[in-house]
Amino acid sequence: MENARSHQSEAIMVSIEAVSRSFKLPRAGKVRALDEVSATVRQGEVVVIIGASGSGKSTLLRTVNALERVDEGRITVNGIEVTNPQSNLNRLRANVGMVFQHFNLFAHKTALENIVLPQTVVLKRSRDEAVSRARELLSRVGIPEKADAPPGDLSGGQQQRVAIARALAMNPKVMLFDEATSALDPETVGGILALMRELADEGMTMMVVTHEMKFAEDVGSRIIFMDQGKIVEEGAPTMFFKAPDNERTKEFLNQIL
Amino acid sequence: MFQDQIQMIQSITPFLLEGLWLTFRITIIGIVVGSLIGMVLGTLRSLRIPGLTALIGLYIHLFRGSPFLVQLYIFYYLLPELGVAWLQFDSMQAAVITLCLYTGSYVTEIVNSAIAALPKGQDEAARAVGMTKAQSLWYVVLPQALRMIIPPMSGVFVIIIKSTAILSVVGLSELTRQGQIASLRFPGDLLLIYVCVAALYFVYCYPVLKFADWAEKRIGGVTLKMR
Ligand SMILES: Nc1ncnc2c1ncn2[C@@H]1O[C@H](COP(=O)(O)OP(=O)(O)OP(=O)(O)O)[C@@H](O)[C@H]1O
Ligand SMILES: [Mg+2]
Repeated sequence: MENARSHQSEAIMVSIEAVSRSFKLPRAGKVRALDEVSATVRQGEVVVIIGASGSGKSTLLRTVNALERVDEGRITVNGIEVTNPQSNLNRLRANVGMVFQHFNLFAHKTALENIVLPQTVVLKRSRDEAVSRARELLSRVGIPEKADAPPGDLSGGQQQRVAIARALAMNPKVMLFDEATSALDPETVGGILALMRELADEGMTMMVVTHEMKFAEDVGSRIIFMDQGKIVEEGAPTMFFKAPDNERTKEFLNQIL
Repeated sequence: MFQDQIQMIQSITPFLLEGLWLTFRITIIGIVVGSLIGMVLGTLRSLRIPGLTALIGLYIHLFRGSPFLVQLYIFYYLLPELGVAWLQFDSMQAAVITLCLYTGSYVTEIVNSAIAALPKGQDEAARAVGMTKAQSLWYVVLPQALRMIIPPMSGVFVIIIKSTAILSVVGLSELTRQGQIASLRFPGDLLLIYVCVAALYFVYCYPVLKFADWAEKRIGGVTLKMR
């Protein structure tokens, strides 16, 4: 099957080096959400991150676009050091698209305006240019007729399409998907996954947290399995699903498959 | 039979209306300036900047946790005593400043609650597309928060209108003060005079209350522990 792998090149897009992050627990103690995690994502790769709830998947994605700071370690995206306070994080974030589980569309804006706003504010595009790009993207994600609908009038799947279009409008170099289909009705999941697969096939670099093992197997260039803040297993999908090394991986796969 | 009363009402009406007009102007100043104070401080407070948050918290506690009358006494009697040139307030200045700060403390709390009530994902999505914190506040957070504050703000407006009655104690001739003066002129008609005063307050407050109800249903809002 034709997919992201054929676009792979050597250039490193995301580099995560020995990153740790702890959170204080409400009463006492700490949880190590990331425990010296290292990973590399090359241009055009689709890295799928799986693992049990609380294993640190979201935290890992969120450190990549600096929504979450790190305690230790170093992250670079497209050569820009995310973990350096001197870096322009807002420019960096425009380079990294993020799609959330709960869509997070701007509730006071229509679908179209959700896609227009970041373009005019962050990229300083003219309104005309931003609107025409937004319309193009709404067609691209399959809902051109919903331009004027407020988020509340859209189904979950439609909202997620707008959210993907909003992220794409910034011409990101990397897209992060944090359980993009987990909050959707079963019948709309397929559509969003198909859209993600299209992006992958076009060569988009992606980090995808998902529980959709079929997607992971078909589209993933590489699978990362996380447990208690650590990457405990990593490999090509074939290897990973057919012959996992790690006990925790086996256990997890048994539960989920 | 009611000849006397009608004459009495005719003779006090211009004064009561004058009092209502002053009450109206003072409440508008209080609402406008208090809202500006509240918007700025409420937004600043939501940023959770350590020292600043505590300072704004102190302001809210002082002004919401003490009677308006006491605040007014402090601004009118106490501060001028200190001998500082710019703290020499006349009754009008003391009244307006106290009212603005008092209103501001309510609005600060409302704005802060509204921002806190907004799902965190809104700000995160804005930051994720590369907006700065300020841009996220301006384009995403505040426009949504402002919708939510309309219903509770109408409630504050009514509280402010009623609080202005207290300004009569420093001799400001607002509506209640005009009622007191009228009752000195016509001691026998005390009840009727205050019925008129109450009616005028009602005429002012009722539309605001109605609007609050309507806005509450239309928009929904932040529920606050008021009073
Ligand atoms: N903002 C936070 N404050 C406190 N603890 C947090 C915070 N974010 C994450 N954690 C903790 O860090 C750990 C990892 O959380 P994370 O959300 O990254 O897990 P996850 O793998 O995405 O889980 P899920 O599948 O449930 O989304 C968990 O123990 C979580 O409770
Ligand atoms: Mg998660």
